[in-house]
Amino acid sequence: MTRVSQMTQASKASIVAALILTMSGCVTSRVEDSREGMTGINEGEAVVILAKSYHLGNETEDKYIACIEKSLARGSQGLRVIPNQVFVDSLFPWFEPRTAPTATKGLAKLMDHPGVAEKLAEHGVRYIIWVDGDTERVAGGGSLSCAAGPGGGGCFGFAWWTNDADYEASVWDLEGFESAGTVTADVSGTSFLPALIIPIPLIARPQAAACKGLARQLRAFIVDDPST
Amino acid sequence: MLASLLAGCSTSMTLDPPTIPIPLIDKIQASIGLRIPAEFESFVHEEEVLGRKKWKIDLGRSNAALFTQLFAYMFEEVTVLDADDDASLLALDALIEPSIDAFEFSVPNQTKTEAFAVWIRYRLKVYNSDGTVVANWPVSAYGKSQSSGGKEALRRAAVLAMRDAAALMIMKLDDETGISARSGSASAASVAGPVPQPAATDEE
Repeated sequence: MTRVSQMTQASKASIVAALILTMSGCVTSRVEDSREGMTGINEGEAVVILAKSYHLGNETEDKYIACIEKSLARGSQGLRVIPNQVFVDSLFPWFEPRTAPTATKGLAKLMDHPGVAEKLAEHGVRYIIWVDGDTERVAGGGSLSCAAGPGGGGCFGFAWWTNDADYEASVWDLEGFESAGTVTADVSGTSFLPALIIPIPLIARPQAAACKGLARQLRAFIVDDPST
Repeated sequence: MLASLLAGCSTSMTLDPPTIPIPLIDKIQASIGLRIPAEFESFVHEEEVLGRKKWKIDLGRSNAALFTQLFAYMFEEVTVLDADDDASLLALDALIEPSIDAFEFSVPNQTKTEAFAVWIRYRLKVYNSDGTVVANWPVSAYGKSQSSGGKEALRRAAVLAMRDAAALMIMKLDDETGISARSGSASAASVAGPVPQPAATDEE
C-alpha cells in the first residue's frame, strides 16, 4: 500500500513537472522576406552568418548567431555553414567590426586586397548573411512576494513580462557582388509567473522562436524554394 | 573572514597575450625598431565602479605581445628593443615606441545593457634615424562582449579592443606616419647619430 502510494505521488509529480514544462507563455511571430534578386546554391557552396558591427550600434547576441548557424546547417536539407569566427579570422583584418564592408558596393574593392578573393574561393562562400537586431524587454508588471519562516515558506502574486525579438538578415550574393534581399523575424513573447505558495513559470522564448523562424525562412530564401 | 568579505568586493583579472590571425596584406618594405617601454609591458588598470566593486585589470605582457606580433606581420624587418637598447647602433628606417594614453571599461550595470566594453587609447611615436619624432599618432580602439561569463566577457572585450587596434593600425599606420616613405632612409647617420629619446610619459 505504501509503495503504491509512493508510486502515485511520483507519477503525480512527473505529470505536474511535464505539464509545467509543456506550458509556456504566449508568443506571436511574423517572419517575412523581401527578394531583390534570384538565389540558389550549388553543391560545395557555403554561407556565412555575421553580426553587423557593434561599431554601428548593433547589439546582436553571439548566442543568436550561433543558433542561426546551427539551425541552417541542421538536417538533410542543411546548408554548408562556415563558422563565423573561422571566416573572420581567415580574412583578418577585412571583416572586423571596424573594417567590414557596410554595403555590397564595398565588395569589389575588398577583392583588391591580397589573398581575399582566394580565401573566399577556398571557403566556397556564396552568400554572406548579415544579422542585425536583438531581443529586449519591452514591458512588464505585476507583483510577487515570497516569505519563509520556521513552518515553511511560499510565494503569492502574479508577475508578467514581454520580450521582443526583432532581427533582420541581409543576404549578399558574392557571385554578382549584389544584395539578394532581406529576411526579417519579429517575435513577441509574454511570460507569466503566477504563484500560490508555489510559483508556476510560464515562460515564452521569443529569441528561440525568432532563431527557428529566421533560419527556416533563410534556407527557403537561399535555395529559392517556392513551396514556403 | 574580513579578508574574504573584502575579496568579495573586488575582482582582479590578468589578460593572457592575445593572438591575432595572419593578416591578408602586403608587408611594408621598411626596417623598423620597436621599443617597448617598461610601463607598457606591465600595464595595470584599477578602478572602482560606481562605488560598488573594485576592478584590477592586469594587461601583463599582452600589449607587448600584440605589437610584436602585429609589426612582424606588417613590416619586412622588425627589431624589438628594450628600454635600454641603443637604437642608433642599428640601421633602421624608423623607430616606433607605443604607449597607453588611456584605458576605460564599462560593465552591464553601468550601461543597462548585457555587454562589457573596453576602450584603449594607444599612442605611437615614430622617430627617424636622428632621433626626431616624425609622427605622434593616437590609436583609439573599442571592444565589446556579451555579459555571459562575467570576468571572461571583460577579458574578451579587452582582447577585441586590441584586435580592433591591430585592424586600425594595419589600415592607417602608413598613411598616418609615412613610414614606407622612409624606407631606405637608414644611413651611416643612423649608426653614428643621436640616440632616440626614451619613452616620455604621456600626460596629454
